[in-house]
Amino acid sequence: MSLRSAPRHVFALVAAVVGTAALARSGVGLAGENGTIRGQVDLRRTQVTLDTRPAAAALGASPRRPVELRPAVVYLDPAPGGALEGDGTARATMDQRDETFVPHVLAITVGTTVDFPNSDVTFHNVFSLSKTRRFDLGRYPRGRSKSVRFDRAGVVQVFCDIHSHMSAYILVFEHRYFAVTDSRGGYEIPGVPPGTYRLVAWHEGEVRATGRVVVPEAGGAIEANFVIR
Amino acid sequence: MTSVPPRRLPAVAAALSLLCCLHGRTASAQHWPSEPVTLAGGRILVAGDVSATIGSSDPGWFTYTDYETSAIRRVRAGLTAEARVSQRLSLLAEIRAETGAGIRPYAWYVRLTPFESGMVDIQAGRIPPVFGTYARRSYPQDNPLIGDPLAYQYLTSVRPDAVPATADALLSMRGRGWLVNYPIGNDTAHNGVPVVAADRWDTGVEVRIGNPVLEGAVALTAGSLSHPLVRDDNGGGQVAGRVNWSPSPALTLGASAARGRFLSDAVREARPDLPVGRYHQQAVGVDAETSWGRWLLRGELISNSWRLPAIDEPRIAGPLRSVTGYLETKVRLRPGLYVAARGDQIRFSRIRGSGEPTTWDANVSRVELGIGYTIRRGVLVKASLLNHWRDGGNIRRSRLAAVQALFWF
Repeated sequence: MSLRSAPRHVFALVAAVVGTAALARSGVGLAGENGTIRGQVDLRRTQVTLDTRPAAAALGASPRRPVELRPAVVYLDPAPGGALEGDGTARATMDQRDETFVPHVLAITVGTTVDFPNSDVTFHNVFSLSKTRRFDLGRYPRGRSKSVRFDRAGVVQVFCDIHSHMSAYILVFEHRYFAVTDSRGGYEIPGVPPGTYRLVAWHEGEVRATGRVVVPEAGGAIEANFVIR
Repeated sequence: MTSVPPRRLPAVAAALSLLCCLHGRTASAQHWPSEPVTLAGGRILVAGDVSATIGSSDPGWFTYTDYETSAIRRVRAGLTAEARVSQRLSLLAEIRAETGAGIRPYAWYVRLTPFESGMVDIQAGRIPPVFGTYARRSYPQDNPLIGDPLAYQYLTSVRPDAVPATADALLSMRGRGWLVNYPIGNDTAHNGVPVVAADRWDTGVEVRIGNPVLEGAVALTAGSLSHPLVRDDNGGGQVAGRVNWSPSPALTLGASAARGRFLSDAVREARPDLPVGRYHQQAVGVDAETSWGRWLLRGELISNSWRLPAIDEPRIAGPLRSVTGYLETKVRLRPGLYVAARGDQIRFSRIRGSGEPTTWDANVSRVELGIGYTIRRGVLVKASLLNHWRDGGNIRRSRLAAVQALFWF
């Protein structure tokens, strides 16, 4: 080792020690096969679609909406180090259809741009007052779309200024270890490095349940189920 | 109808709080409710609003909705419930508590949707007014400003239960609709009525037919536009109708008309020799709303007349007419922040008393400028400046300021 090259080696050694400590703290193994965390979120809370406000001042009834099961989001917190990937060009869509945001819950990574097309015959005015991302897209008609880029992690609650019964959530993550439950409550988070993690189940604005999950060195599928009452 | 003293206002506030707590148990423990409360598996929807408005003293009575209450100095709480008995049948009710007015039922009616298409609705009970637009959007969360349009709030010198014997007696009340005293009928001093009452709804039956592009509604009710009633007080009712056309999402045009018997039987009982005739209130109105991007623009124009008996000389010849209209705009500047403005006028027809012809009530103009900021969904603060000009009465120029805090779910 020459004296000239010594500082570079020292930095590399320090980086290795700090990195190892960080990984150890997060419970992530240094080697091994990635695993898949999958399971079921049993939503036992009464699921009632947000309907229009009681329209006592209306001259007639507004269309009624069917009862629906709203999805949950399951994610790792904290996530494995260096988990954020992507070049910030990802796009997602939250449609406005039948006076409803579709999907009701959207989970994305930081840097994603979300398009908000209007598929209704009426105007919509999408806005959010969430600290994570405040925006107001104004009123625009059917066939037009406006976009918002999300550069901070957090939860963004989205509303329509014209239709008070319209609401949705956008969850912005700094990593890719998350999944939105399907119509049966199932979820799957693939490519998780070996380690011990805290798994979080989020539903309608709140963390409803947490659990610990261990991905073994050999990887494979790990099942973790939640019941939300 | 029994009115409960305003000291019961805390009871309504407590009820609202309880609902908020119930809602919190079922939906969100960390957040204030921003959505209606749903009970019984979605069959019952409950929404509420509480607003507190603090404003300047208004010695000119420009902003009063009755003798007790100014629109810029009041606390108001409301609870609205809809019980969905079946897919086609709902029961709706709204109670309000307000400083000066106590607790009162504001709306209670049954809504029937006989056909699956939803093209027809029938509502019966104490129903929302068919005429115009503002009376159906007078909730604080739907009003970008704090004051109400003059047509729906300003107290004229006409009363349904008392009439002047002469044109001079009517002219002596110019610009003081807040406390009117006439010798025939109820001789107790009381406030006059606005052109359209927004703070009370009429009782009757309403049928709506149409779709979101074109719809029409007609209603038969017990009272009249300016004097809605629960029980008929003159043996005659009102017929009112409205047509609404939305050729595009950016534009809505409406036209309304109403005609109803206005004077109560108390007047005829006081003067059985009143000239034979039906003393009606009659009004036609047009309205429009357009919006695009961050802009919203609305306007209404109402031509109204009351026919009062011509009793003694100098007589009140012909109907007492008024024309009133406003133009209102709201611009969203940034998320949560908007500015709004409304220009408003009410003009009265001329009559001849012992002197030169003059307007039977004092013409009024108002310009209101406001700003609103949404702190979070369902929590809004507003501030307004209201400038008034009147060509009669003790106070002819008034500049008022008001701040309003509002919570609704």
